[in-house]
Amino acid sequence: MSELFDAVTLSRTARLAGFVWSTEELEALRPAVEAALRLLATLDALPLDAVEPTTQYRIL
Amino acid sequence: MSADLPFASVTELAQMIARKEVSPVEVVRVHLERIATHDGTLRAYITVCADAALVAARAAEAALVAGRPSGPLHGVPIALKDLYDTAGVATTAGSKILAGRLPATDATVVRRLREAGAIVLGKLHMVEFAYGPEGLNAHHGAPRNPWDASVERMPGGSSSGSGVAVAAGLAPAALGSDTGGSIRIPAALCGITGLKPTYGRVSRAGVLPLAWSMDHVGPMTRTVADSALLLRVMAGYDPADASTSVLPVPDYLAALSGDVKGLRVGLLRGFFLESATPEVRAAVEGAATALQSAGAIVDEVALPAVAHVAAASYAVVASEALAYHTGWLKARATDYDPEVRKRLQLGAFVTGAHYVRGQQVRALIRDEIDGALARRDVLLAPATPLTAPRLDERQTTLGDGPSDVRGALIRLTRPFNCSGHPACALPCGFSAQGLPIGMQVVGRPFDEATVLRAADAYQRLTDWHTRRPVLA
Repeated sequence: MSELFDAVTLSRTARLAGFVWSTEELEALRPAVEAALRLLATLDALPLDAVEPTTQYRIL
Repeated sequence: MSADLPFASVTELAQMIARKEVSPVEVVRVHLERIATHDGTLRAYITVCADAALVAARAAEAALVAGRPSGPLHGVPIALKDLYDTAGVATTAGSKILAGRLPATDATVVRRLREAGAIVLGKLHMVEFAYGPEGLNAHHGAPRNPWDASVERMPGGSSSGSGVAVAAGLAPAALGSDTGGSIRIPAALCGITGLKPTYGRVSRAGVLPLAWSMDHVGPMTRTVADSALLLRVMAGYDPADASTSVLPVPDYLAALSGDVKGLRVGLLRGFFLESATPEVRAAVEGAATALQSAGAIVDEVALPAVAHVAAASYAVVASEALAYHTGWLKARATDYDPEVRKRLQLGAFVTGAHYVRGQQVRALIRDEIDGALARRDVLLAPATPLTAPRLDERQTTLGDGPSDVRGALIRLTRPFNCSGHPACALPCGFSAQGLPIGMQVVGRPFDEATVLRAADAYQRLTDWHTRRPVLA
């Protein structure tokens, strides 16, 4: 996982989101980013094709 | 009389004031004195509105003498988490970024409470921008859990000051907000009652957001009856909040019959009960037994889709929080609490597809909870799987293995932020160390009446909610 998210990749991803963060800052974030991406990857494994996302709900 | 006032319930105070047995001025003074005595240690308040509260109390006294009481909360003091807008009073969400911010108007619920006669004592400490469940804040320090202040235990958050103030008798009631459990977690850790109403039941207008689709606002009190009284005032359609429902607001107090005969209660096993520490698990099972002995029909139920709540909740909250904070995160990043800044930065690595998948999982969780409640009136679970950790504690052991403290605290509450179902946390025991144990009662959407009836019935059967911390 660490090879996939080197400093350059992290920096480019952050820039795509509109943020310019230092290498030091991104390195400090790296463990949490990788943990978050592992968590989010579990969503990709779920059979959700037939599930309509909750957007605005239950307003009666 | 004065010695008992700090721990009188809202209901009792309202009745005593209406009967002119006690003056609103005396009630406010007693609370201000108690704040002056104990808040240096407990740190529940970020702003105390002493002068304004006394002015309002004198006006309430005059109105009472003139035979013009304002409403059901006439002369009763309350305190507000520091993210509720209050006209002319600093509202900062516990941040440096909003230091000195003076809203021009009250949040809708604050206005409704004032119109009902409530008097605002002050604003309460919180986790910066409500982003965290431990109750920690690098700018202001953490409020101390009054049940073990000497060991410096977490009050829970993000409504940390609200939990501490109500538990310690520094306010008879407070308002909190709940995006992943921030009303119910401090309620559980501080031994009080906290109600997260159905999404759409109470207006969020004028309440600073964390994640719009997960945010709920609600009361934190010492009794379920008090939460029922406050909810009646707070709830209802608000044109300033498009998510509020037009459904009529019932008289929640009238629903508190004390009768649970035939009430169908589903005890949540699996993800919920098995993760709890043995003490918490035994206390919640004991609560189920108590309700059964009073005539409720208890069975067990599991919610398998809830296993995915952490990923779904993370995708949604991280994205929505980053969207709200983008401007400040670019311009004033160093003014954030470092922990909160890190949580916000992580949102930059969540994709749009992740967000939508999170919303899809929310639909699964919502449907599964709806299914469980199709055959039951309420569900019962621990509010938190553990009692208050030490302030410096980062890792813990739950019933099903090791966990980081942050994840442990929000594990059992956030499923109902994802689904929007109403949930009420209340004390159901104490640990061997003397720390409160909290459970939550969950109900059908917009059926807070049944949630409150079940929770109130339990409080009539037990005395956990009447215990008070001993303060130095």
